[in-house]
Amino acid sequence: MRSNQKKAWLFLAPTIIFVTFFSIYPILRAFVMSFQSGPLINLNWTGFSNYQYIFSDPEFWRAIRNTILYALISVPVALAISIMLAWFIFSKVKHKSFFETTFFMPYVTSTIAIGIVFRYIFNGEYGMLNFLLRALHLPAPNWIDDPSMSLTTIIIFGVWTSLAFNIVILMGALRNIDPNYYTIADMYGATGTERFWRITMPQLVPTIAFLLTMNIIAAFKIYTSVYALFNGQAGVGNSATTAVFYIYNKFQIVGTPGVAMAATVILFLIIMFVTFLQRKMMKKIGGR
Amino acid sequence: MNDDKFVEVKNLKKVYDNGHEAIKDVSFSVKKGDLVCLLGPSGCGKTTILNMLAGLLNPTSGDILFDSKSVVNVAPKDRQIGYVFQNYALYPHMTVLQNVMFPLTVGKQKMPKDKAKEIAEKYMETTQITELADQKPGNLSGGQQQRVAIARALVQQPKILLMDEPLSNLDARLRLKIREEIRNLVKKVGITTLFVTHDQEEALSIGDKIILFNNGVIQQDDMGQNFYLEPNNYFVANFVGNPVIDNFKVNVKDGKITGSDFEINVDDLDKSRFKRDLTNGEYTLSVRPENILPAETGHVSAKIDDVELIGRERILKFTHDGVQARSLVDLETPIKRGDNVNLKMRLDRVFLFTKEGERVY
Repeated sequence: MRSNQKKAWLFLAPTIIFVTFFSIYPILRAFVMSFQSGPLINLNWTGFSNYQYIFSDPEFWRAIRNTILYALISVPVALAISIMLAWFIFSKVKHKSFFETTFFMPYVTSTIAIGIVFRYIFNGEYGMLNFLLRALHLPAPNWIDDPSMSLTTIIIFGVWTSLAFNIVILMGALRNIDPNYYTIADMYGATGTERFWRITMPQLVPTIAFLLTMNIIAAFKIYTSVYALFNGQAGVGNSATTAVFYIYNKFQIVGTPGVAMAATVILFLIIMFVTFLQRKMMKKIGGR
Repeated sequence: MNDDKFVEVKNLKKVYDNGHEAIKDVSFSVKKGDLVCLLGPSGCGKTTILNMLAGLLNPTSGDILFDSKSVVNVAPKDRQIGYVFQNYALYPHMTVLQNVMFPLTVGKQKMPKDKAKEIAEKYMETTQITELADQKPGNLSGGQQQRVAIARALVQQPKILLMDEPLSNLDARLRLKIREEIRNLVKKVGITTLFVTHDQEEALSIGDKIILFNNGVIQQDDMGQNFYLEPNNYFVANFVGNPVIDNFKVNVKDGKITGSDFEINVDDLDKSRFKRDLTNGEYTLSVRPENILPAETGHVSAKIDDVELIGRERILKFTHDGVQARSLVDLETPIKRGDNVNLKMRLDRVFLFTKEGERVY
């Protein structure tokens, strides 16, 4: 028993060391740094002053507000569209693997590259999107350069980029549903809507719960797509700034690591709270 | 109304898209209230027939009549059938009650929840699963899941119940118990049932009638005991019976049946059992192991390779003409492994099959 335990520690050691140095230590370090001020090489204790600073900084509140709005809008919308597309491909389309591959492409492509392409699509004057909108006699806003549009633009981009992963995972879940479930439903004359809501959706609940967690965490950490869409800026006049953008800015550009770490701790707490809430909710819906 | 032909299948054929001919001209009928077993080895087409009856597959040609009305162009939901799948296919996210209610609460003819619940509860009582109402299928034993599946199949009060190998997911002991339960249940409800199985013992024990298939053709459509006593052909004789029948290669010439080391006079056979005239040529002489027994003088002499005890009987195994054969004897028989014995056949119980498997005697 004893020697067995020793051996177990030996096998666990690489992981424990890795996790300690690259996950646990940085979290603790960030937490400690959030109470310190000054440049990285000469930090000194200043108590809650960093927290006082960010809480009174309108820039911070805008970043948090943008991040929460982005997460709360883009995640449900993306998930709903993913479910619809996955169900459509699964039940109606013949060459499933072709469409699956097509939808998976954005996932393996760099967000920066896609972002540059989208800069052209979204361009107010010669962009493809506005060309289409004008052809349909719809309003054609300036997606990139209008500060009031920048959050909308990021949400559209975010929805589009998260479809790939969601659809592939959902297709896998749909394939795992016993086809006899549908045969029985057909035999008793169930309509397409009944099949979907009474069999497909309940069977997808665990997968949706998983995707919701993954998507929400990813949404709260949004940075790359903002960077790519607005050419390294957080939108015109920082209109599209996000929590991670704020952290990066305070750390690298302004050079106040303490303030950045205080914001990190707040973001960490928000993500933890939302994940916890959402897990509780899914447990109630799933009922198992 | 034609109760003798409540279910009637006429010249049914099924050719799959890949050209595989699963069912070749099959016709049979089922009496109202009967429990009929569709028996056969895997791949013989029995499930294909069941799926065509259910409307899950379309026949290539032929007709299916329920209560004298053709249902070939009727959608599955309008055929008034209940179907029990091999793996039951209960909805894991629904409780037992919700599963049983499901057929009543979907589709065009769906009824109010409380009425559906009332009917569901009635059938749950019949199948003795009332106390499981709020459980999820994942928490139930195989036998309980089976009963939920049957209750769900019965809840729309179908005229015909179709069951596809419903016992194959259960362990051996439970299988014996459940097959009895199924028979009692369908008899109590009085529903006409078609039951697919590959297990002859299962078919013999619960079927009012058995239809034996092989390669998409009916081999015999008969009462259980006749498969044993009067097999239609070589395939039936070999498929039904445990231990399996003994087969000896023989040559018939001018009134003599000659095996590798025995000779039988055709005159010694029971004239009334001939299906047609015996012509000269090669045949297979088949005899059930209980009809070839040790005797002072016999047809065959052999050395016993092995003795196997099966309950109150013993199987003496011996090799004859390069083929293993068996003799089923009483438990008290003192014959041991290695003994040389003479074995005598009961000539009024042997069968003669042509090379094509057709029965002559």
